Amino acid sequence: MKLCEECHKAAAAVFLKLAVNNKVTETHLCPACAAKKGIGLGLETGAFNISDIVGNMSGYFKDFLPPERKTLRCKDCGLKYSEFKETGRLGCPECYVIFEPQLTELMARIHGAAQHAGRAYAGGAALKLSRAETSRRLEELRAALKVAVAREDFEGAARLRDAMKALEGRHG
Amino acid sequence: MAEVIKSFRSHVTWANARGAWPDMIFSTRVRFARNLEGFPFPNRAEPRQLAEIRRLALAAAKDSGLFSRGHFLRTETLDQLEKRFLVERHHVSHALAASVLPSGAAISNDEDLSAMINEEDHLRLQCLNSGFAIEDAFKAALKLDEALGRQLPFAYSGKFGFLTACPTNAGTGMRVSCLAHLPALSRLGRMPAVLESLSHLSVTARGIYGEGTYVLGDFYQISNATCLGRGEEEFCENIDRVIRNLIRQEIAAREALLKGPLKLKTEDAVYRALGLLKHARRLSYEEFMQNMSLARMGAAMGWNLGVDFSTFNQVTLLMQPAHIQAAAGRALNPDERDAYRADYLRGKLA
Repeated sequence: MKLCEECHKAAAAVFLKLAVNNKVTETHLCPACAAKKGIGLGLETGAFNISDIVGNMSGYFKDFLPPERKTLRCKDCGLKYSEFKETGRLGCPECYVIFEPQLTELMARIHGAAQHAGRAYAGGAALKLSRAETSRRLEELRAALKVAVAREDFEGAARLRDAMKALEGRHG
Repeated sequence: MAEVIKSFRSHVTWANARGAWPDMIFSTRVRFARNLEGFPFPNRAEPRQLAEIRRLALAAAKDSGLFSRGHFLRTETLDQLEKRFLVERHHVSHALAASVLPSGAAISNDEDLSAMINEEDHLRLQCLNSGFAIEDAFKAALKLDEALGRQLPFAYSGKFGFLTACPTNAGTGMRVSCLAHLPALSRLGRMPAVLESLSHLSVTARGIYGEGTYVLGDFYQISNATCLGRGEEEFCENIDRVIRNLIRQEIAAREALLKGPLKLKTEDAVYRALGLLKHARRLSYEEFMQNMSLARMGAAMGWNLGVDFSTFNQVTLLMQPAHIQAAAGRALNPDERDAYRADYLRGKLA
């Protein structure tokens, strides 16, 4: 009898086979662990998404991602590169800028390419943020502005002032 | 009893067995993963940010005009049965149903379009069509994507395309999938080899089965394994080729099941399954799926079983646990459900 590869206790009843870019992963799970991973019976997981399962296999990206210094992290959302390696999830759009060299390598391995070749996107309308969200963001910018001025980072301060002006003119 | 469920129709358009090859391809789905610029992805966003994203997304969905008389749902206002119902209906994932953070969904009136909000990504935009209909589903999903993309700033880079929480979804952010019913290949034990061959074609086949049995109705979800580095149409064409090939193999398997001594065995299995579906007094969902699969295969072979594909497809949805309770109008324990399911099914097949 094959044991569940997740809990190592119950008998495996669900066999899951995934193939990503010629790398085949096989997993045997008991019904309880399969359900936890959102793998239901028959039809019911219509919103199936490979990353739900791949992402849940801890360390999946470890084999694919290059090592990097421990301190590397996203300046916007604070996600550490090491956390990304662990979870397989990025924290925000800026992560793609900060981790670009590493992601380029990862993309080449999982997609067989690292350059988008689909539809281009020209950008949508500016967000109509709620009053609460706008004032919260303004507050954050104000605090950042104070720090920039104190540091005599006048370029940064100018950018923050522009951002505040743009934000003030757009809620509603 | 759940008000939200009552607002959904009992007949589901995308399960009406229209489109090409309805006997083999139950439905076709195209989805785009999208995120909004200026917010962290859901896994790192704070609840108030998620609430703001949902407010923006629901407003954009309403303004798009594609969801008129549709459903605009906030997950935390739904009870367990309602969530389960939406999962069974393919509008919401298990992950979204389990979420305790601000999330939601917009679902069009005839249920072919939906937008999941704050699941793994801010938006999962999907179109679900009956039968083998990749081009139609792609066009409709693209229309939804473009409509929302005009109103909301999507996170995008020239290099990595549309940016998503998981790098496996970046690029086009697109997943095309067909739900294939392959009972003959399963019966002949050919599915492991078929799945193996698919793994070399940049295609993911989700085959989940109790070892050595057909308990899950022989349904397989076939989808593109990668979504970056090629154009959307190219990814569609690849899946299209793979599905056409699968259809040919299933047809060959059906022919094999009707040859020589196998013929009587196949007929016996199909009619026994039909008899069980029509006369059982207790029926679990798994047992229903197993027998429905065989009976449906008989219908696919052109035998006059008195039940058409549309009915088979509709009952495949309607016999699921939350749907059974919705039909009963109250919560049922598993034993009551099995009894109710058997009665309900007899009514539908009569």
